[in-house]
Amino acid sequence: MDLAYTPEQQAFRAEVRAWMEANAPKEPLVTLEREEGYNQHVAWERTLASGNWGMVTWPEAYGGRGLDLIQWLIFEEEYFRAGGPNRANQNGIFLLGPTIMEFGTDEQKARFLTPMAKGEIIWAQAWSEPGAGSDMAAITSKAERDGDYYVLTGQKTWSSRAAFADWGFGLFRTEAGSKRHKGLSFLLFDLNSPGITRRPIRQLHGDTGFAELFFDEVRVPVANRLAGEGDGWGIAMATAGFERGLMLRSPARFQATAQKLVDLFKEKGANAPPSAREAVSAAWMGAQAYAYNTYSVASKIIAGGHIGAEASLNKIFWSELDRSMHRAAMQILGAAAELRVLADDSINAWLEGYIFSLSGPIYAGSNEIQRNIIAERLLGLPR
Amino acid sequence: MDFRLTEDQTVLVEGVRDWLTGVHGPDTLRALDETPSRRSAEIAQGLVEMGLPGLLASESAGGLGLTTVEAVLIAIEAGKAGLAEPMIDSAFVALPILAAAGKTDLVAAIASGEAKVALQHPINPWIADLEGATHLLSAEGGQLSIGTAPSSTALDSVDPLRRLFAPVAASGEAIDASADALLDRAALFAAAQALGAADAMLAQAVEYANTRQQFGQPIGAFQAIKHHCATIAVAIEFARPVVLRAAYAVEHGEPNAAIHISHAKLAACDAAYAAGETAIQVHGAMGYTYEVNLHFWMKRAWALAGGWGDRAFHLDRVESAITGSMPIGPAATFA
Repeated sequence: MDLAYTPEQQAFRAEVRAWMEANAPKEPLVTLEREEGYNQHVAWERTLASGNWGMVTWPEAYGGRGLDLIQWLIFEEEYFRAGGPNRANQNGIFLLGPTIMEFGTDEQKARFLTPMAKGEIIWAQAWSEPGAGSDMAAITSKAERDGDYYVLTGQKTWSSRAAFADWGFGLFRTEAGSKRHKGLSFLLFDLNSPGITRRPIRQLHGDTGFAELFFDEVRVPVANRLAGEGDGWGIAMATAGFERGLMLRSPARFQATAQKLVDLFKEKGANAPPSAREAVSAAWMGAQAYAYNTYSVASKIIAGGHIGAEASLNKIFWSELDRSMHRAAMQILGAAAELRVLADDSINAWLEGYIFSLSGPIYAGSNEIQRNIIAERLLGLPR
Repeated sequence: MDFRLTEDQTVLVEGVRDWLTGVHGPDTLRALDETPSRRSAEIAQGLVEMGLPGLLASESAGGLGLTTVEAVLIAIEAGKAGLAEPMIDSAFVALPILAAAGKTDLVAAIASGEAKVALQHPINPWIADLEGATHLLSAEGGQLSIGTAPSSTALDSVDPLRRLFAPVAASGEAIDASADALLDRAALFAAAQALGAADAMLAQAVEYANTRQQFGQPIGAFQAIKHHCATIAVAIEFARPVVLRAAYAVEHGEPNAAIHISHAKLAACDAAYAAGETAIQVHGAMGYTYEVNLHFWMKRAWALAGGWGDRAFHLDRVESAITGSMPIGPAATFA
């Protein structure tokens, strides 16, 4: 165990800090779930890319910096320390990107990764269907082969970012009559293709971050299939691992929330209930614990290890931590918590954040599914 | 920056774990429970033969010259085994304090197993294992003193294998160390043992859930049972690096080590309490019997959680630090 940063790591931190201080937005952006805010966030992705900060762990050939996961954690710490916005392209850079890196052909890597790192193409995910939520193997959307094309028919839902994004990825049934996990393929498609209808879904907070997608004979080149026909399930599980595991929610995000909660408590906590008071300390402790655990996992991965079902432990921890931190803020704000004071981000961010935190235990695989995975694959309880 | 254990640390821990699994299983706990002294000379001797009482003593004092991180890793294993022998208090808590205070002869005697040091601090209404100790390290008025162990009235613990005694008037020689140093080290090792106990209780719950049949299948096939167990697995997973990080902070004399210890104690003891409640629930009525082994670990967890600063004490320390001058936030992970 060596919990000291090397001089190189410290120098890297200083480099990120200087760049973020010079370039990070001075005012909070409008929410990513609204078109105006989405456009602001995409512009920020391009600013990030102009400094070559799009995805620091990727090879230089694909718009990255070829850095390791400890450096990625340092980058994220400095990013959130400077108040960096949520990443408009998180479905791309954190989920699809690592999946393409592992399963894509060289041609697909060149074609998709660089524009992703540069923020030129923003990605939406398209896993769930009306009849396939937690039971994702019940997918019925199909892709029928027609020469060098697949013809997509069906419906996806809860498709994050799909209201505004450029491209999407998801699983489609390429083998007619196949059941469950078999016969599924992982396809990438242009959301502006003829035959795709997007219907934005109004979310709890009133905005439209995700959408339903309807596919009516949408033609997608076979070259847009990741790995082999019928191999989709295994690849999707790998993507889900990235999502629940290391990258989607870096510890710095929660450390920043915990810090803001401590500040709120210092400012307005005099009459907070004892439970909120304890939750403030628990917020710092939880965010720190998540950080230590992530450093520990990153150290193992750098040494050649990998993260499997352990990702489910992470997902439960950060999603429940986020919810409890925001609930504590709501309790500290008391009667003011319900006010939608859009002009005062110090109040409004807690309400918006609390609403968003309620989605954490659901997306990326509900926490009930994660608990099943932990019980069956880590603890060895019967399926 | 590397949060992994070293190869040497892994080998050491596995050796101790294997030994404890062999000689300190549930049958041993039950046998000790029938022994008036609750202690076994063979187990004490076995620990000495592995060199563990001298783990933190320098090689010139006949020790292994290892660090608080290794000691904490062993304390986690001790917690898993429900170790009753008071080696941790003597060798992992008292020894480094005595070594720093220049008590070279006593350090060598602890390392060789000849001396055992019991601990007294006003935060606890008891002294553990005073009988059987040669020395008492005592905190009073913020300072520590060391002297020969007096006798005192025995107190009953809910933990059948803990032996407690009423506090005594300190009468030893003052040493140059603070009462807080004793409290912090003891709290760290309580956290480590609680983490091990949580792990052991989860393992027992899972084993029972895999074997007990109801409705024609193992009860572990039901989601209600799975989700209970998974929740404890999450708590343990995220307590462990906190305990290790606290050990590292102590070893490296970090300025906020005491806060990391409080964090570790809260995380590990909360996990242990929850593991006990969950494991009982999974065992059903069997869990409420003395016959099932679970209670040994559960009662130990209660004792560890209450001693060396209870929940309120450690929460207060954390709150004061994070609302005070300690650096917090995304770029202060290892501050």
